Amino acid sequence: MGSQTKERIFFFALGVPVVICLLAFFWIAATLFTGVGTLNMEFLTTSALQGGAFEMIVGTIYLFLGAAAIAGPIGVFAAIYLVEYAPHGKITRIIDQAINNLAGVPSIIIGLFGYTLFSRQLGFGISLMAGWLTLALMILPIVIRGSEEAIRIVPQSFKQAALALGATKWKSISLTTLIAAAPGIVTSVILGIARVAGETAAILFTSCVIITRGLPSSPLEPVMALSFNMYVQIVARGAPPESVFGMALILFFIVVIFSLVAIILRVYYRKKQPWLH
Amino acid sequence: MSYGDKVEIRNLNIWFGDKHVINGLDLKIKANSVTAIMGPSGCGKSTLLRALNRMNDVIKSSRTTGDVFIGGKNIYENGTNVYDLRRQVGMVFQKPNPLPKSIYENIAFGPKIHKIAKGKALDKIVEKSLRAAALWDEVNDRLGDSAFDLSGGQQQRLCIARALAVDPEIILMDEPCSALDPAATAKIEQLIRILSTDYTVVIVTHNMQQASRVSDHTVFLYLGDIIEQGDTKSIFENPKHELTEQYITGEFG
Repeated sequence: MGSQTKERIFFFALGVPVVICLLAFFWIAATLFTGVGTLNMEFLTTSALQGGAFEMIVGTIYLFLGAAAIAGPIGVFAAIYLVEYAPHGKITRIIDQAINNLAGVPSIIIGLFGYTLFSRQLGFGISLMAGWLTLALMILPIVIRGSEEAIRIVPQSFKQAALALGATKWKSISLTTLIAAAPGIVTSVILGIARVAGETAAILFTSCVIITRGLPSSPLEPVMALSFNMYVQIVARGAPPESVFGMALILFFIVVIFSLVAIILRVYYRKKQPWLH
Repeated sequence: MSYGDKVEIRNLNIWFGDKHVINGLDLKIKANSVTAIMGPSGCGKSTLLRALNRMNDVIKSSRTTGDVFIGGKNIYENGTNVYDLRRQVGMVFQKPNPLPKSIYENIAFGPKIHKIAKGKALDKIVEKSLRAAALWDEVNDRLGDSAFDLSGGQQQRLCIARALAVDPEIILMDEPCSALDPAATAKIEQLIRILSTDYTVVIVTHNMQQASRVSDHTVFLYLGDIIEQGDTKSIFENPKHELTEQYITGEFG
């Protein structure tokens, strides 16, 4: 077989999966866009009590922002500890493996765990707070892994320069390493948000209800969420799938917007970080 | 310690793990002069240099014994504040290592962490340091630009200015020109000569021409031992030890 023929076969073999992915993407996009018809400003801003989606949209945003606010700082400090301070030993390896495992735990199990610990034992009930903590568990491994990576690619020379000027270890890390790693850290938090924005199982038992009167007024009250509402509409109410395509589309846009912001930030800061080239 | 010695090293030993890198050295370094430490790669030059501001401490596997007196004070004594020490003993690295900040913020970094100055007083320190490093005229209209916009030679002078900004007494330079072109190297060498009127400069180099051009005293280090030391002129013109002569004439290196 000539090398040119081989080349063609490989080209074709590698092209097929790409085409399949593209087809799947356009199919999903086309299906979702059939929901455009049900979308209008009124639907977005009207209370759920009058058949709108206002509380679900705001509730969804409340949920992932609160979760990110909890998981962000904890994840960043964990990453700093693991990269800069932790001794290279057995315990560190076990912790590393535990973080990987946490990322792989099915969300329904995380939800069940959150329900048991946060809703029942800690007494938060079905509330925003219980949802935040549960979702934070899902964001945490993404933030830790992403932040570790961002901290690792900062050149040692920055830290050395600061140390040689008489900075303490913590100052050299917080004033040079972390600043250089900040874009990567922010990206990892946004990717964490994108991961949980559409999460259903984790908030199923911990924070969502079918209907509320207006927005929650404290973290200890339950919320409505887009993903949960779609589930309820179809499973509990037996509504046809098409009836929730509008909500699905909103959720889709929220996730896409966050992912896009993450990508744009990364590209923008890559250009401003000549030490990465 | 005799008059005019800024640094006195007594029986200094350094290990990295099991590797004995510096074998019981004694050395005196004169104030307000340039001392060059030269020798082949891996002879312990940089390790010896980093013993003077205790930057070896950062490397976990390192172990140091012996005494290093700076201005009469033993820096390896228990209770030594290494952060003050590193303010007193500045360092310039092999590869220019500006911080990911503006030109101004690079210079202001040291004074800020030591709370030396702020506001107008800090502006003055920045200007003074940049002038002392012969960089002011090239950057005074763009202090807010990223330090990475500077050329390699300018970056290295920025790093020198950054070290000067915390008002050190000693400046350690670890092959400061090895990443620079000849024109930039000439500028740095000229600067080193000027700095020696106010500071004690210790420079590590494996470039013999550089050692002979910039230094007053030369130390020839080989496998962790000082083979020969003395006035630069006499070492280059009249080496007493066979190894020194072989090194200078380029038989090994």
